[in-house]
Amino acid sequence: MGTELGKYKSCVSARSTDKEILKGAQDGGIVTQLFAFALDEGIIDGAIVAGAGDEPWRPRPFIATTKAELFAARGTKYNICPNVSFIKEATRSYGLDKVGIVGTPCQMQAVRKGQLYPIGLRDVGDKIALAIGIFCMENFPYQSIVQLVEDHAAMKMEAVKKMEIGKGKFWVYGQRGQVVQLPLKVTHKYEQPGCHVCLDYVANLADVSTGSVGSADGWSTVFVRTRAGDSVWAKAIAAGCFETQPIEKVKPGLELVSKLANEKITKNKTTLEERATFGVGKALRNPYI
Amino acid sequence: MSKVVEISPTTRHEGHSKLVLKVNDAGIIETGNWCSITPVRGVEKLAIGKTMEQVPKIASRVCGICPIAHTLAGIESMEASIKCEIPKDAKQLRFILQLANRLHSIALHNILILPDLYIPGTDTKINPFTPEEPVRSVAKRIQRLREIGQTIGQVSGGEAIHPSNPRVGGMYKACTERAKTKMYDLAKEGLVLAHQQMDFMIAVLRNFQKRDWADVGGAKIAIPKDLGYHNQGYMATHPFYGTTSMDECPTWDYSRFKEVRPWDWYMGEMEVSLADPKYPIGGTTPVGTKVNPQMEACTGIPMYDGAPVEVGPRARLATFKGYDEKGTVGQHIARQMEYTDSLYAMIAAIDEYNPSGKVVADYIPQGDGSMGWAANEAPRGTDVHLAKVKDGRVLWYSMLVPTTWNFGTCSAALTGAPWQLAEVVVRAYDPCVSCATHMIVIDEDNRIVAQKLIQ
Repeated sequence: MGTELGKYKSCVSARSTDKEILKGAQDGGIVTQLFAFALDEGIIDGAIVAGAGDEPWRPRPFIATTKAELFAARGTKYNICPNVSFIKEATRSYGLDKVGIVGTPCQMQAVRKGQLYPIGLRDVGDKIALAIGIFCMENFPYQSIVQLVEDHAAMKMEAVKKMEIGKGKFWVYGQRGQVVQLPLKVTHKYEQPGCHVCLDYVANLADVSTGSVGSADGWSTVFVRTRAGDSVWAKAIAAGCFETQPIEKVKPGLELVSKLANEKITKNKTTLEERATFGVGKALRNPYI
Repeated sequence: MSKVVEISPTTRHEGHSKLVLKVNDAGIIETGNWCSITPVRGVEKLAIGKTMEQVPKIASRVCGICPIAHTLAGIESMEASIKCEIPKDAKQLRFILQLANRLHSIALHNILILPDLYIPGTDTKINPFTPEEPVRSVAKRIQRLREIGQTIGQVSGGEAIHPSNPRVGGMYKACTERAKTKMYDLAKEGLVLAHQQMDFMIAVLRNFQKRDWADVGGAKIAIPKDLGYHNQGYMATHPFYGTTSMDECPTWDYSRFKEVRPWDWYMGEMEVSLADPKYPIGGTTPVGTKVNPQMEACTGIPMYDGAPVEVGPRARLATFKGYDEKGTVGQHIARQMEYTDSLYAMIAAIDEYNPSGKVVADYIPQGDGSMGWAANEAPRGTDVHLAKVKDGRVLWYSMLVPTTWNFGTCSAALTGAPWQLAEVVVRAYDPCVSCATHMIVIDEDNRIVAQKLIQ
């Protein structure tokens, strides 16, 4: 394929140098660290992140304007957080001029589409200063996560310390130390069906995209994609925010990222083809054409 | 012998309107008819049966220049009908939004009138789009003022055009402390620019007032000293905001209002007998064309105390600040004086706004069908919306918008002016014609009127 990783200027394996960030981070603390640095430097004046919602592990878009607020939103919550829905409000009643936003590949597509065709997003596009994308194979509705954690993993949502997808398994870590692993075969049917038409694994349209795949535990793979992303990343490196390793020297490296990206693309292309013959005499639209 | 000249469409204002003028041999207007030719929108009919939340949003769509005034007047008329008091901080946000709208509107109007005016000491008309100084920096200042007004409107109202934040019962979102600071900073920046812009505009307008002639289509037209004078009254409800039927002492009185049909007011069928192909832009209507303002006018003529009145900046200043300058230039100068007034009031309101205060009423009644109205001082005058809401649905809705009030008054003010300067007089009212186009069915008699129009 060759295009599965999108365009990028550079790619490294990295982790934050801030111990505090790493404590609550999913992997290398890239998103939190980069936003924190951008906030300090005035590159952004607030970031839309997945904050705590009304129920445990149910994220809600949250506009973080301080480091403390960013820290509170660390870690991955494996269900839907409509960050893009806050992008206009951030520039309105929150009064932000330079907005940071983190999201999945589809959310990055939405952000860029909003910038290109700003329907209902008047004066928003030029205020998006830093868009960080996260690798994503698929997402789950909240009810699915409840089902997986409470039924399959037999744990109460409140008692979960961390969730993770890695090494072909869905991991649930309890606060009392229990660890439950579910094979991905089990989780598949709980996925959001809309994810099965997505042909983007590594957030091709983000300024910077990151995810655990390809790097060692506690580290993240980082793609720097745009000029804006490059400038922030270079400044953050110069300021000593991250330790990095060349991606070529890391195992499993880009090879695995490519493999998973291709897997996603191939799998979802099948869905797209199926959809072309789906319905009563009228195919569903392929969103990529 | 009188001749008839028609200028259609009139330019450099919002909407579509035309002038039908009966002039004497010297070209001086004897009877002037300024009428809206924008087709009827039917917003008032669309509103019936819709929820009270929807209707102000629909009403706002009548025009993109002062949608804020229509949203606020619409919402407040609903609130007046259901008798809902809104929290203090929601009122502050609406007040800030209102003034932001006025600020950007005055700046926009500057662009529209500058081509009528001259660079002092020269016979060169001002082209606001020229890259040359000194006009360039003025144009930039105007754009910055508009940007400031619109940004403050976006922050407080969610959107500078068709604000999304106001709702029946208050506002959807409170502004954060950061947003408050942003608005304050912008208003402070705007104040300096507004002072400069006001001084500039007044200087240019005084220069126009001193001139003996103005160039129109290559001809030197004498400017009368009483250009735009009229003897109609003024109507204003508040220096900045407005009033509603819920107020203890409302400053507008429904019982003093009456509306008449256009054919009671405008001239009947005539034929154009004077034309000037050199008149900008594209000349006037050719000789021999049939005109009929009575049937073509798409507006009613509202009266207050039995006569058309003037609304707008001068009416506000005359009512509340003792301003007494008449005529077209007087009207323009009043508008420029509102630049700084609105920013001072805005800064005070931002200062007073509490970001952690409540912005939605605890209890929003659903209405019992009683009539409520709200008058909002839009940039170009008093915008009154009237509504009857029952069980959350709108039973009846009516909009009495600023330029509707001004149509009759401005027509009167045309008398005595050279016809070539009629548009200059019209522009001083900052007309916003599209919202002024409507028919109101008040009673059984008027239903026949509506039928007549359709024929």
